[in-house]
Amino acid sequence: MCRPDGRTTVKPPGGGVLAWAAVTGAFAGFVVCLVGWLAGGGSVDVAWAPTLDLRLDLALDGLGALYALLATGIGTVVFAYGAAYLPLHLEHEERPATEGRRFWPWMTLFMVSMVGLACSRDLILLFVFFDLTAVASYFLIGFDRNRREARGAALMALLVTGISAVALLLGAVLLYNAYGTFSLPELFERARGDTTTAIACALIAVAALAKSAQVPLHFWLPRAMAAPTPVSAYLHSAAMVAAGVLVLGRVHPLLALSQAVLDGLLVVGLASIVVGGLLALAQDELKQILAHSTISQYGYVVALYGVGGAAGAGAAALYVVTHAIAKSALFMTAGAVTMATEESRLSHLGGLARRMPVLAAASAVAAATLAALPLTLGFFKDELFFAAARGRGTLVTVMAVVAAALTFAYIGRFWFGLFTGRRRADPHAIPVLLVAPVVLLAAIALAGGFVVGPFAGLAGDAAAVTHGAAVDVSPAYHLDARTENVMAVAAWALGAVFLLVPRACAAVAGAVARAGDTLGPRHWYGVALRALNVYSDRLHDAEVRDLRNSIAAVLVPTGVLTALGFVFTPTEDSFSVGSVALEDVPIIVLLVLCVAASFTVVRDPGRLRPVLALSVLGFALAAVYAVAGAPDVALVAVLVETIFTLVFVGVFSRLPQPRRRVAEGRGRRNLMAGIVAGIAAFAAIWATLSRTSPASGDAAEQIARARDAHGGDVVTVILADFRGLDTMVEITVLAVAVVGVASLLSRGRSW
Amino acid sequence: MSIVLDVIAPRLLGPAVMVAAAIIVKGYTDVGDGFSAGVIVALAISLRYITFGPRRAELSLPILRHAPVVAAGGLLLALAVGFLPVVAGDPPFTHRPGPGEDVVKLGTLELISAVAFDIGVFLLVCGVLVTLVHQLARLVEGPDG
Repeated sequence: MCRPDGRTTVKPPGGGVLAWAAVTGAFAGFVVCLVGWLAGGGSVDVAWAPTLDLRLDLALDGLGALYALLATGIGTVVFAYGAAYLPLHLEHEERPATEGRRFWPWMTLFMVSMVGLACSRDLILLFVFFDLTAVASYFLIGFDRNRREARGAALMALLVTGISAVALLLGAVLLYNAYGTFSLPELFERARGDTTTAIACALIAVAALAKSAQVPLHFWLPRAMAAPTPVSAYLHSAAMVAAGVLVLGRVHPLLALSQAVLDGLLVVGLASIVVGGLLALAQDELKQILAHSTISQYGYVVALYGVGGAAGAGAAALYVVTHAIAKSALFMTAGAVTMATEESRLSHLGGLARRMPVLAAASAVAAATLAALPLTLGFFKDELFFAAARGRGTLVTVMAVVAAALTFAYIGRFWFGLFTGRRRADPHAIPVLLVAPVVLLAAIALAGGFVVGPFAGLAGDAAAVTHGAAVDVSPAYHLDARTENVMAVAAWALGAVFLLVPRACAAVAGAVARAGDTLGPRHWYGVALRALNVYSDRLHDAEVRDLRNSIAAVLVPTGVLTALGFVFTPTEDSFSVGSVALEDVPIIVLLVLCVAASFTVVRDPGRLRPVLALSVLGFALAAVYAVAGAPDVALVAVLVETIFTLVFVGVFSRLPQPRRRVAEGRGRRNLMAGIVAGIAAFAAIWATLSRTSPASGDAAEQIARARDAHGGDVVTVILADFRGLDTMVEITVLAVAVVGVASLLSRGRSW
Repeated sequence: MSIVLDVIAPRLLGPAVMVAAAIIVKGYTDVGDGFSAGVIVALAISLRYITFGPRRAELSLPILRHAPVVAAGGLLLALAVGFLPVVAGDPPFTHRPGPGEDVVKLGTLELISAVAFDIGVFLLVCGVLVTLVHQLARLVEGPDG
């Protein structure tokens, strides 16, 4: 703490270099974003795959600047906190300090993908960065990988946000189908308010809402508290969860085309405020209170986007900034308190203000910001929120007051429970760096309470992107009895009542929490996951029970597809019998060889000989290519066949000696299956060969162009030049396969 | 294993590398490409594994343990050749020199960026296959075998 006594030394941040490199990188990013925003923004637009309409379209506009500044700014502060926190955490978990190397790269990727997401103006790019944040969060939430609940929480976060992210992709493809572009600015011009657009927007909204942990897909967020505190602080304020509302803000001009989608957002947002707020009142663990508070707070933002218009967009933007500052400070407070006392439950803590005065004061400012008390930046977020809500009728107005009261109540319970009352745990000293970030953020929140200009300016710029027109965000103190002020006072009064009757509150909140546990979506997530597991196990067992099933799993679907092909294609010209010319003789000789080899495969009781005979078939095929004038293909066929044969022999030499005793009925059934398969394959190949397709236009053109590409060998030119991107993807698959084999066979060691 | 194999297998690596080099050098004007070349070298190395057993094969050719690095290097080379044109504002896989421009030749070898891509494919395929052989051999023989 700030008064280090004799037994503590402020430790140098271990895992150090990497941590401070991350801090420096984040700060450099913050400065770049700030300068970029002040200079009026900028954009990069590279159409890197024009035939697929894929673009690298990044713009540092108002909305991009707001979230990029949050990601890098809060990132700098949280990373610095993490530099002090992580060594203590690892020591506490009895893990070597070098494990920090597993932490910082993911944290940095988290930040970079968030900045990328903030600046993307292309739906596909948006999707890629959206999923990158999910991947990074998976590894960060599961950082304590020897703890079972951490692994489960990481998987849950990945499944809930990752599966719903597919909805974003679906929405993007629907929009592309209708308007022929993934680019958001172009979509804003072309899109009309029809049903397709509404469905696409609803799908995008689902992905965003799951990411922002909104009801009913909120349950992954409290579980994600298994992560180390710096991850939670960052994930809740400026990264993962913020990504959802960021997407809503980015595509809002599309959402605004459909009133139904906006109404849906409003309902989901209000429901999340109430559910999150009530559940926050019922929690005992510090981080759980804050996690449920996040659900509720992003509910505000979602509801504001549902309200829409200039007022809604402006209020939402300012809300995100304020919440990020306050929430990261509160999370770091919880982490510092837990580090100091080794207690993480509100019921085991209390009266810490005397022993940790600086932390108490700083977090009081953060809590006041969240509770929207005057003289903090938070007051203005509620002022704008009330103003926007008032425009949507009485019901929403009342809900807004209740929401603010709930926030006041749970955050008051958090702070008073922690710092006042009887002292239940004795804190020991902690590094200064665990407190300094909280103080810094509190100072910013306090400064915003007096000079709101810069924050309002940033929010106004962001809202202009969301709203599609210039938005004036100008919150201020008004010392009169206007509606916003009355609503604020009413909210504080109601919140104070909630605080003064803790028993009643706890009873109601507890009932809601219990109902949610037994009937809620988290229960259904568990049921669905278990059912999927059982089903997958059954399928796997059936497939690998014996070799016959494994083969059938491949061949039966192939046969069905081929049969469907026969049903749906006309077969008049098929099955023609051609003539035999002199140059076909080599092929006929090869065919005879194949027939002989086939008999050996079937009849020979051993293992090695059938394998070699099988390879004869492959080499014969290669020979056919050579005869038919495709030397490139022939070369590859020979090489591949050689490898196959080697692998086959290698594997069979390890198997126990065969027992070639086939059960009575089995033998006849195998024979029948063989005959049916043979006839079907014969018919399919005959039909294919009867229909000699003329050389496609592509091939002729590629042959003609090979000379332009300075190549004599068309196949090589196609592989390296015309279809170079395909080749690139294919060889990447090879590299991925090796990583897969290495992780399956030797725990990820490649050699 | 038979004496013939014992004598031939170690001596086959040199010719295999030679053939692979020839395929790459001639690749753009004649049959074959980086993939075939990579497989040929990997096959020669696999033959050593079969005759000597994994342990001796890897002791006699210590360079093999860099196979994963070679694979990664090949991937990076191919990526670089493919996507550097994007920096210049061209679509990916725009090879230099372009159509109609003159190509510098060193004997049969044409200095085209596509050949560099092919070399990347060669390195990747070779590295991947050797790594796979090593992994499978370890599985069969045990980590120390």
